[in-house]
Formats: sequence, C-alpha cells, structure tokens
Amino acid sequence: MGRKRDAILLALPAGIALAVCFLAPMVWILVRTLAEDGLTDFVGFMTDPFYLDILWTTVRVSLVTTALALLIGYPVAYYMARTSSGFRKVMIVVILFPFLVSAVVRSYGWMVILGTNGLLNQFLQAVGLTSAPVKFMNTEGAVILGMLHLLIPYMILALVAVLQGIDKNVELAAYSLGANPLQNFLNVTLPLSLPGILNGCVLVFTLSMTSYVTPKLLGGSKFRMMATMVVQEVNVNFDINAAAAISYILLVAILLVQVVVTLATNGRMRRLGGGRDA
Amino acid sequence: MRDGHVNVFCKVMAVLTMLFLVAPLVVIVFASFTPTEVVVFPPQGFSTRWYANVFSPSTHFMNGLWKSLQVGFVATLVDIVLGVTASLCVTRYDFKGKGALLAYFTSPLYVPSVTLAFVLLQVFSQIGGFSGFARVLIGHAVLILPYIVRNCVSVLHSFDWSLEDAAASLGASPVQVLTKVTLPLIRPGVVAGAVLAFLYSFDEVALTSLLSTPRFVTLPIRLMNYMELTFDPTLAAVSTLLILGALAIIVAMDKTIGLDMFLK
Repeated sequence: MGRKRDAILLALPAGIALAVCFLAPMVWILVRTLAEDGLTDFVGFMTDPFYLDILWTTVRVSLVTTALALLIGYPVAYYMARTSSGFRKVMIVVILFPFLVSAVVRSYGWMVILGTNGLLNQFLQAVGLTSAPVKFMNTEGAVILGMLHLLIPYMILALVAVLQGIDKNVELAAYSLGANPLQNFLNVTLPLSLPGILNGCVLVFTLSMTSYVTPKLLGGSKFRMMATMVVQEVNVNFDINAAAAISYILLVAILLVQVVVTLATNGRMRRLGGGRDA
Repeated sequence: MRDGHVNVFCKVMAVLTMLFLVAPLVVIVFASFTPTEVVVFPPQGFSTRWYANVFSPSTHFMNGLWKSLQVGFVATLVDIVLGVTASLCVTRYDFKGKGALLAYFTSPLYVPSVTLAFVLLQVFSQIGGFSGFARVLIGHAVLILPYIVRNCVSVLHSFDWSLEDAAASLGASPVQVLTKVTLPLIRPGVVAGAVLAFLYSFDEVALTSLLSTPRFVTLPIRLMNYMELTFDPTLAAVSTLLILGALAIIVAMDKTIGLDMFLK
C-alpha cells in the first residue's frame, strides 16, 4: 500500500502543474472559442482562399524542406555511420554546434549573406555575373534554405542512429552474392534504414510546419506561414478569433501527422515530437 | 578496409554539408569585426566598436540577456523537481496506465509552441495580474518539461533498482535512499537533460514573442526587434558572443558526458 501512495505522491507535482498550466488552458480556450462562435472561425479559415493559401504554403515549404533534408542528409549520415576517422568527430561537433546556436542568430547569418547588399550579391557583382542586386531575401527559397540549415542536423542524427546499428556484414554478404552498389543500397541498406528515415522525416516535417523564426526573418512580412500568421493576427490585426482558428488547426495538423505515423508503424516510433524552434 | 567501401560521393556530400552548416556562423564572426555599417568583403579594416555597442545600456542587450538567464534558470530548476519526481513515478513502479501517464508528462511536445502561446495569452488576459516574467516563465516551464522527463526516464530505465533495496535493507529511510543513492547516481543524465532544456528556453522565440511584455524582453526577442529597426554589425557582435557560448557548452559536454549520446 505504501508503494501505491508513493507513486501517487511522485506523480502529483508534475501532474497538477501540467493540468493547471497546460491541459486546462488548452481545453478552456477551445471550449470558449467554440461556445462563442461555434465552428464559424474554423469554417471561415477553411473557406477563405487567403488562409488556405497560407496553409498550402506551410505544407509546401515543409514538404520541400523534408525531401531536401532527406536527400542531403542520407549520404552524410551514411558516411558518418561508416567512417571511423577523425573526421567523424569533427562532423559530430559541426552537426551539434549549430544545434546550440539560436535560430535567430543563424537566420541573421543568412541575412548577411543573402541581403540586397549582402555578401553573395557583392560577389556576383564583383565577378560581373549580374549588374543589379539579385533578390534572394524575402523569397520562399531563402526560407527553405534557412530551414534546411536548421533542420538537416535533426535528419542526420535520426538517420545515423539507425544506420550505425546496421551490421556491416549484411552489406558485405550482399556484395559477395553479386549485388552491385545500387542493388545493395536499394535492397539492403535502404529498407533497413526505413525507421530512421521515418523518424527524421516526421521530425523535420513537424518542425517545419510549426516554424516561426525562419519564415519571419528570411521570408519577410509578406511571406506567411501558420505560426507567423498566429502572431500577426494577435499583434497586428488584433483578430483573436482568426488566431484561435489557426492555432488549433495547426495543432490538429501536427497531431494528425503523429497519429498517422504511429498507426502506420504500430507505435514503434522512437523519436516522435520534440525539437527546438525552427 | 573499414573506410574502403565508403562511397566518395558520400564523403563529398558530407564535406559540403559541413561547410553549409558552418558558413553562416563564420560569416557572422567575420562580420562582427568589420568597421563599416554594411558588411563588405574584403573588409575595410578591423574594429571592435560593435562589441562596445553590445554592452552599452542603450541597446538593452545585456538587459535581455539577464531576463533570458532568469527565465531559463528558474524554469529549468522548477522542471528538474517536477521532471525527476514524475520520471521516478513512471519508472520505479509498475501499474496500469503507466504509459498513458508518461505520455501525459511529455504531452506539451506535441503542441506547437505558438499554439500554447496563444492559449496562455488568452488565459492571462482573462485572469490578469501576471507579470511579464511570470507569463514567459509558465510558458517555458511547460515547453521544456518533456525534455527533462525524457532524459530522466531514459537514465532511470537503465538504473539498477536493487541498489535502492540494498540501501533500505541497510537501514536507510526512503528519503535517504532517494537523496543519498538514487539522485546522485542519475545526476549526470539529469544534468545533460537540464542543459538542453535550459538552452531551449534561452533560445525560445515563438512562444516568447506572444507572451513577453514591453518591460520583459528576452535576448532573442531583443535581437529580432533590433533587427527590424537597425541592421548593423552590433547584431553580429551579439551573435558571435552567443556562438562562443555554444562552443563552450559543446566543449564542456564533450569533456563530461561525451557527444556520442546524441547519436543514439
């Protein structure tokens, strides 16, 4: 009996804190929004081309970022998992290091490079490739570039975790049975690393969907994604109902991704959710 | 032999990606020492005047740093207490609904920080009376709790519980068992999780930009506000200092817990 009491006592602090500061507010504000206007705010979002465009931009940027992060991250992770050289240590540091540097700082670095008077434009004009500055900043490309810079490390870490667990002998066996490198990759390495691919993709996709700093700084005020739009509705347009609708629709979108992946993998996912601001 | 099969293509990609990851950081450090308002290459000399600007009270960067440290430390300390007790509950005992309880403790992980921020903002405007510090602190404490819980739970999963029984059979009280045996043994893992949670709080922007007040502005928010008005290398100087801080933490983690824990 004492053990049961101890367990309850240990669960109480975090349990109550989360109930008061997290669960109750989440439910209360949802109920209040629904009680005041019913579903009108949500229907309004889903039927307004302006908001649908923002949703589509968010999904599109996230899909492109995830695909590019996987394509770039996979060979890097493969190399990292297979090499034992001193370069591996350098790679770990270089991958973790930007992890610890604020997204604001990293976006600022890209602003210095990509700006109208930025280093890239100075270079292009100096070598005569262009006479007038090229507009890199405040474009979707800049946002995706900045997002890749933030999120590729997540992808690489998720992939390395799985790739370094694949027995090298399995690949050697395939070679000895006459497989060429491409067959080996497609039939052996790729299927075995699927859990890592899924982990990395879900992580990068959800972090892109909810990203705020990068679209705000590299996309400019006219580039709108879901998270930046919530802040804009609250601080600029003072439209609380619209902000509520966007907030909860974003939440549902994220939960949907998690549920689909959990069901598709029978709950074997290890690294769902998580990750810092993008 | 071991490296023999590593594809040249993978190596080239690895080198290019590393350069891509480091490039903006190198640019920032270089930009912080330029004497001109606009960063030009090749540099027109060498200057540390932007660093003087960072520490000048008129830029409010030091004030922002102080606010960020306050929130980060208090949120982390509170969450260590909440997180360690919660983790002990779901690892030391076996009961029905254990998995659900752990999912509950880590549930803020699945909520976009901007959604949480909006919801808390509504609550604070209904109830009122919360200072800027309290508003940001509550938000951060919710956001980083899952990281502390996750880290504690993974440390406790490999904890040898017979050590507790041994201590108890030697006459230690339950409190002594906890403070003299269990907590000291899981401390490295807890500290590692706490460092990451603190850094998350220190860099948090999406939630803070909705919950901070004009009188309570954290460093990242201060950086973003400054950027909108003035785009001079003071930003590079602040950023360089933050990069150095990150570097110091990496070195410290490498020396103490090792960096390989991030690859699991």
